[in-house]
Amino acid sequence: MIKLAAVNKSYRVGELVLPVLRDISLEVAAGEFVAIMGPSGSGKTTLLNIVGCLDSVDSGSYSLAGEAVGQAGDNDLARIRNAHIGFVFQLFNLIPRISALRNVELPMIYSGVPPAERCKRAMQALQRMGMADRAEHASNQLSGGQQQRVAIARALVNTPELLVADEPTGSLDSTTGREIMALFRELNQAGTTIVMVTHEEDIAAYAGRIIRLRDGVIVADERSAKSC
Amino acid sequence: MLTFFFDRFSQALYALRDNRRRTLLSILGIAIGIAAVMAVGTISKGGNYLIFSELETFGLNSVWVFRDWEDKDPHRMVRQGSGIDNDDYQALTAGCCTAMRRISAVVHAPFGQRIIIQSVNRYSNARVQGVDVTLTAIANDVIIQGRPFRVRDIASRRAVAILGPTAAEDLFGAASSIGREFRIGNRKFTVIGVLEAKSRDFLASIGSSGGQDANNRILIPYTTLQQMLGHKQITFLQAEAVTQTQADAAAQQIIAVLQRHNGPNYAYKSETMATYITTTDRILSGVAMIGIIAASVSLLVGGMGIMNIMSTSVLERTREIGLRKAVGARRSDILLQFLLEAVVISTLGGIIGLILGTVASILLAEVTGFPLAPSFTVIIIALAVSVTVGIISGYLPARRAARLHPVEALRYE
Repeated sequence: MIKLAAVNKSYRVGELVLPVLRDISLEVAAGEFVAIMGPSGSGKTTLLNIVGCLDSVDSGSYSLAGEAVGQAGDNDLARIRNAHIGFVFQLFNLIPRISALRNVELPMIYSGVPPAERCKRAMQALQRMGMADRAEHASNQLSGGQQQRVAIARALVNTPELLVADEPTGSLDSTTGREIMALFRELNQAGTTIVMVTHEEDIAAYAGRIIRLRDGVIVADERSAKSC
Repeated sequence: MLTFFFDRFSQALYALRDNRRRTLLSILGIAIGIAAVMAVGTISKGGNYLIFSELETFGLNSVWVFRDWEDKDPHRMVRQGSGIDNDDYQALTAGCCTAMRRISAVVHAPFGQRIIIQSVNRYSNARVQGVDVTLTAIANDVIIQGRPFRVRDIASRRAVAILGPTAAEDLFGAASSIGREFRIGNRKFTVIGVLEAKSRDFLASIGSSGGQDANNRILIPYTTLQQMLGHKQITFLQAEAVTQTQADAAAQQIIAVLQRHNGPNYAYKSETMATYITTTDRILSGVAMIGIIAASVSLLVGGMGIMNIMSTSVLERTREIGLRKAVGARRSDILLQFLLEAVVISTLGGIIGLILGTVASILLAEVTGFPLAPSFTVIIIALAVSVTVGIISGYLPARRAARLHPVEALRYE
């Protein structure tokens, strides 16, 4: 599903070139649930952005579901993100003051789904997240956990093969965090590949595989025994 | 395609609802600009219309041909007379000139010669003009009572007259003057017609009414006036060109005939209405241009208002832009969204401006007395201009939004 080979990525800060990822090679099979961990500055978010096709690589190659995307152009990346990847963020990133339903419809607007179909599918996604009764609520009237559920519904509405999550529980209390992780596990069991960045061990424990980064290098790649 | 556009449109609208006060201020900025441009445009059009309706009273295709009294040649200048006589006129009426539709002889009593015009105990100081049957048609004169001259009136030197409204009022008061008699000098004339009043108030107010009061005239057959004056001279010729653009050609052709007849004895000059129209046109459009440039400055300020609100909006919604890109928006989607926002603001401003501008135009027309010239094209232009202002002022902020890198936009605090 995901195949990174000798990927390098650096950021330029003025005159300085800061290498963030060095020679990362990584394969993730379809249906896996992977947690990426590491201290701040280890490059885990950069790695996630590349996996999520939000950023391009400097060198090396990245193929997603057999398609080479490492050096793809802006519009191609937008299309791939739209059709194959769902995003969940730490701060939810819902558009405030418009309804949960409208938020969930957003990816379908950019893939050209007709309005009636859009509404139907958005409602289904919200239902799956247990949020159908809040569909008409403005997103900033919802609690953090509810907002994250709406965000997950939005991530899933185009039925992507890959779910990319950046600290999905980082802004939630631990009970709500566990609920969200239970949802993730459910989705994974239903066949969605998940790559998630976190710095909490107990959240990472939901994943079947933990990749640890330090200074832009993979230092550990553990598969938990109880991968069920 | 329709869905595509509608979606982008609704995405643009929600953001405007979100910032109602700011949006309203920007709309107002554009509205004032459009209203100002429109009011200036309408007023200058109204003025234009007024002036042209007065110029029309001379006959828009009119051509005047007369002896050049400022000729420098001393051999020619010693000669007496107008340089045009009945023989010349006969040649001119015999189908000489292709660019000319019709022509009339005009005979005036010599300058300074007072003729008493009298009806019992009422008098008139009207100008007596000897004319041919064609003159009323050439000069756009309308006969509201009675009849025009007939060929026989001219041929038999009849003592019949057509009065301007002022002359009719002076001689006969409010009563109908048709069939009534009055005296010019010692000859008795019968009134056969009365002319409609011509308005040249505006031209008169700027000191140019064509040298005479158009309403204080008495027209009689030119042959009759020649008989009274005891000569066969024609003071000048007034002709109507086939079209306004042919006016110069008509004048040339008439002068050519006169030169052929009179050889080197006289020099001739011509004036055409077309020249005056061109000059007037140039002055009026110059004045209108200055007004529109001045009004456009307020439109420019309005456009800068939109640019400002859009820049702020892009900045405030950086994370939203990042999110939209993450879920699949292309650069063109973002560009279109923000451009549409700007265009919606400016178009709403344009519509409100149209309403304000119409009200302002009506008020101004009321104050200045210019006829209001409402026009559909003004509406189209105003809307086109406001859409254009929206696109221009929205473009830079929209492009900045479209070019944001999704990772950086999502990270923006």
